[in-house]
Amino acid sequence: MYNFLQRLGGITSFAMSTLMALFILISLTTPFIPSNPTHEVTLHDVRTTTGRMVDPADRASRSAEYARLTFDIDADLTSMFNWNTKLLFAYITADYESPGFDTNRIVVWDRIIRNKRQAKLRLRKHHNKYFLRNYAKTFKDVSNANLTLHINPVPYLGIMYDKPMVTIPLAIPRAEKAKA
Amino acid sequence: MEFLSQAKKFGVRSLLLQGLTFLSVLTSAFMIWKGLSLFTNSESPVVVVLSGSMKPAYDRGDILFLHNGFSPIEVGEVVVYKLNDKPIPIVHRVMKVHTENESGEQYLLTKGDYNNADDRGLYSPGQMWIQRDEIIGRVKGFVPYAGMGTIWMNDYPHLKLVLLGTLCILSLFSND
Repeated sequence: MYNFLQRLGGITSFAMSTLMALFILISLTTPFIPSNPTHEVTLHDVRTTTGRMVDPADRASRSAEYARLTFDIDADLTSMFNWNTKLLFAYITADYESPGFDTNRIVVWDRIIRNKRQAKLRLRKHHNKYFLRNYAKTFKDVSNANLTLHINPVPYLGIMYDKPMVTIPLAIPRAEKAKA
Repeated sequence: MEFLSQAKKFGVRSLLLQGLTFLSVLTSAFMIWKGLSLFTNSESPVVVVLSGSMKPAYDRGDILFLHNGFSPIEVGEVVVYKLNDKPIPIVHRVMKVHTENESGEQYLLTKGDYNNADDRGLYSPGQMWIQRDEIIGRVKGFVPYAGMGTIWMNDYPHLKLVLLGTLCILSLFSND
């Protein structure tokens, strides 16, 4: 009959095949789990400054224009937590067009939400976490700017997908000192 | 022992046939791997996460499935990139994207979720942005903990020898 090693080999290979089939099923079905999050972003203020050193990793920062945003976020993301959600990655991007570059997208704020308790967001008068400056040194001739809130659910296992949620318009003024 | 007596019974031809079967299994595996690389346009479509810089989303030992494709990189995507003069690939999230109109050239800035600062400290000296061709692929799917074996092999090289030795001993003493 079969010895111990043969039985072990048979069990292991069957387990591997079953696990693979299970992983594929989980990956394919998770994006279709329904959810109904609510989300709202309100922009209060945009200020642009120049002439001071802002980003120590960027040698050109003294002469570049940096924008500072003040915004509110109201969101209820608890319904996005299903059995296969490890965490939610919420982030706000500033998108705009500028001369020579037709796509510019910069993440200005992000947050990792680990459980349902943290999923009710009520932020007032928050500033951007990351520096907002153009690839060029100024925001001159920047057009079609808006802010978009995205949610990226990270599953315990499976396919990654991203959900853009809400987009609001954004106007980036030129800095007082640099108006040219 | 067993192997030698079997070989004498069946002759050179059967040995060669066995060798051919073994080789064709190896080459099929290699072809599947290279075919996957071509399909995903990525030099390494399956990678293991080596550092904890993307915690809590990805930790050491997770296996990532990458798909590079040809389309421009989007902000917020988690990508694996390898700088032109450094040997290790890095898994981080794209924070800034600037795409030029005419050339389609992209300027990307990345940052690990667990780090406070962006990756400019990791890039080559003087490099402020990474380019599209330094990206190996975007993360499309992942399986947690499945790559721990690779991490153990890397951290404890003796483990590779022990494993190889055990396999050899087992194959010599098996009955079929």
